[in-house]
Amino acid sequence: MKEVLTKVTDVAVQRFGAEYAEARAQSLYKTMLTLKEGRVEAAKQGIENGVALRVLVNGAWGFASVGSFNAEPLTAAVSDACRMAKTASSKLKAPIKLAEAKTVKDRVRVKPEKNPSEILMEEKIKTASAINKTALGYDKRVKSCTVDYLDLTGTSSFVNSEGTMIEQDKLYVWSRITASAMSNGVFTFSREEIGSTAGYELFDKETPEKIGTAVAKRAVEQLEAKPPKGGTFPVVLGPDVVGVFVHEAFGHLAEADLALSGGLLANNIGKKIASDVVTFYDDGTINGAFGSFKYDDEGVPAQKTLLIKDGVVAGLMHSRETARKFNVAPTGNARAENFRVEPIIRMRNTFMEPKDHSFEELVESVKAGYYFKSFRGGQANLDGTFQVGIQEAYEIINGEVGEPVRNASMSGNTLETLFKVDAVGKDFELSSGRCGKGQTAFIGDGGPHIRVKEVIVGGSA
Amino acid sequence: MAVLNRDEMVGLAEKAVSKALQKGAVEAEAYVYEGQATNVSIEIGQISKSSRIIDRGIGIRVAVNKAVGFAYTNIIEGHDAVENTIQRALNAAKASKPDPDWRGLPEKKSYTRVKENFDTRISELRSEDLVKVAATMLESASSVNKRVFPIEGGVGAAYLSSAIANSSGVEGFDKGTMMECSLAAVAKDGSTVTPVCFEFNAERNCDVDPEWVGREAGRLALSALKTKRIETKTTKLVLTQFALQELFYFTLINAVKADSVQRDQSPFKGKIGEKVGSENVTIHDDGLLPGGLRTWAFDGEGVPQQKTAVIEKGVLRNFLYDNYTAKKEGKQSTGNASRAGYLSTPSVEATNFHILPGTSSADQLMGEVDDGLLIYYLQGAHSSNPVSGEFSVVATPAWKIKKGETVHSTRGVMLAGNIFEVLKNVSVVANNERKMGQLVAPWILVENVKVIGK
Repeated sequence: MKEVLTKVTDVAVQRFGAEYAEARAQSLYKTMLTLKEGRVEAAKQGIENGVALRVLVNGAWGFASVGSFNAEPLTAAVSDACRMAKTASSKLKAPIKLAEAKTVKDRVRVKPEKNPSEILMEEKIKTASAINKTALGYDKRVKSCTVDYLDLTGTSSFVNSEGTMIEQDKLYVWSRITASAMSNGVFTFSREEIGSTAGYELFDKETPEKIGTAVAKRAVEQLEAKPPKGGTFPVVLGPDVVGVFVHEAFGHLAEADLALSGGLLANNIGKKIASDVVTFYDDGTINGAFGSFKYDDEGVPAQKTLLIKDGVVAGLMHSRETARKFNVAPTGNARAENFRVEPIIRMRNTFMEPKDHSFEELVESVKAGYYFKSFRGGQANLDGTFQVGIQEAYEIINGEVGEPVRNASMSGNTLETLFKVDAVGKDFELSSGRCGKGQTAFIGDGGPHIRVKEVIVGGSA
Repeated sequence: MAVLNRDEMVGLAEKAVSKALQKGAVEAEAYVYEGQATNVSIEIGQISKSSRIIDRGIGIRVAVNKAVGFAYTNIIEGHDAVENTIQRALNAAKASKPDPDWRGLPEKKSYTRVKENFDTRISELRSEDLVKVAATMLESASSVNKRVFPIEGGVGAAYLSSAIANSSGVEGFDKGTMMECSLAAVAKDGSTVTPVCFEFNAERNCDVDPEWVGREAGRLALSALKTKRIETKTTKLVLTQFALQELFYFTLINAVKADSVQRDQSPFKGKIGEKVGSENVTIHDDGLLPGGLRTWAFDGEGVPQQKTAVIEKGVLRNFLYDNYTAKKEGKQSTGNASRAGYLSTPSVEATNFHILPGTSSADQLMGEVDDGLLIYYLQGAHSSNPVSGEFSVVATPAWKIKKGETVHSTRGVMLAGNIFEVLKNVSVVANNERKMGQLVAPWILVENVKVIGK
């Protein structure tokens, strides 16, 4: 594989005068299952083999993707990419340049306790069925349960015109479980998501009984919940919600490409944008976490990147292209979903650092507010407006967690809200999820429990 | 790379079906897909990238003793690749469990000729042509005002084709084209930066209007500079297609899928023939709509696409079915099986979800609003409760309407409600329809929605 990839990058440089060329081959094997109420909708297996070719010619990018490992179509595609880059460069004002990256030669192997590619489909169906059965058996008001399962194994080979050659094993195990409940015309919906880059041993910790019960219990409890009052309230956020807040409301603003596209952070580096208790990281090196990897898709090693330190912006997440623009070192955040797409800046495991408060201490000073324990979804705009939908919420009255609340959501402006974080817990949890930015990336996010002095709470009331 | 022709695509599908039957499948289906796309991208305000993506593959579905297995591969050359994929589909079926509701693959039906979904000129476009379109769009946006900054966008042209064959005699081939240009822009004034404003134009032919896209993106961004907070109240909303697409995708469209209904996930269960919306609301799912972005001769299972009345004058008429959900009720599929190319098994999805236009112009509709909000972009619609239809989303930016005119923008407004109540409160439907993904709709005016300001 290395030989053909090297040959193709040589063509770009020698024949077309490319400043830079890279070839990234992937050979992936996927298993997917969807179970609905115990019925296996389809047991699926797939192969995705192909090469992504990216070249920089006259300061513009050319990109081509081909589902083949043969020299002939790859040479044709890289020539095409070079010609397209030249065309794109015709209107260029600021030619693209790349930050320096160390040349790497490495072979990265994964050593799972339980390799999903060695586990029979029958066994995977058994696990998914057990989740389904647990959820539906929890309470007769649970009406439906969908289990999606995915595992992905294979190899990614990366060669660039600077001499870097990396062969990296890929391994992901993921499952999403949704359940709905119904009673007296009230419909509720609950979701759990788990993931790992370690191996199928994920299900030893997240047992079918544990996740099946969690998803069903929440759907049923929501049946009795009341809608929240809309307005501005103090809130205590659980690690799951802190994670999505760090990811959506702040993380995307700290992606250097978005910062350059009119986001808030480009002019705020070194400035205080949050209260003293706020420290955020994006870390690609946590063993087994869903957003971890050794090298990104530009061949740059993953690292633990400090984003905010004690309320001050410490840095952004970079590709080689944006790192050059900011005159910093690349951070290893360039990721591509597959061979059909080019690498873009993506988060890895993004989290808030824990401090010193117990949960009781966070809640006790809240007279009238909410405890948002688990999120349904979140989104943010470059101007810093964020929205997080909450799937599990409770009232807080006079310092005590009270009745459950249904279909709440919170919103605000990220920078205003970060200054309103007034206490940070000492616990810590990391969750697994997927992030969409044109491409899907597997990520982790999390943190401790925290208290925020005020956010806008919206509800259906 | 030259595209595969009809005979090559259908031949590949038919061969895979007969091989699968030889290897022990009771039923078999093969779906062959090819997509060739050329794109030019705008990043950080300049045209700086061009790409060409060729993707083709085959997805094979087999049934053995009512257990279904599926496998796909994007390597279709050579004898082994497809053969191994058939074997993997069979292995998956054997590992799976029988489904008593499985009543076989669809039977053969004839296809109507679809209109306006293919333009030969698109296949001939080169990246040079797309660069010109992108440059026109950028210039158009920048010429709106010097405070307007285009940030990202692009131009894309694609050729797509699919072939299907199954063991019940289904055989089909269809090809289509798609062209799109899009632009996101912000406006800046001193330290004020607006939220991102976005416009696009997607068509099945190459007559996209980059000049309009650039001008609109620029105009929206500029008009978002003047911003004020608004108070919390119950008010009128003018929902543009951007807002409708977000709100409907996660709620209403789910509620009319037979899969949701059969699984107790739809509040519409048992309500066919009942009034579920205002009489101004008529919605067709029209898989044959001329020039529609989801218009094809057949769906992901080879069933002819069709026009299905979903809601007529507020009355719920039909749900959307694929082959599996239809046979479960002894009905006919409505041609709503959707696939992600060769990578997935079919699932129920709307085609062109068409809210039929009314008679008022957009200006007349605005004229009905003494006090309200004009809603474009929503955040958080995907966190709606897909089962109950309850939503709580953020509109940013949105525009305050006074006496039929927009007077200023506002940011971070929360809208809370239930999509099924919204349907009942539609008071005016305009006639300015446009295509946006699976939605084809005009602007609509909705009464009594709770808006939470600051």
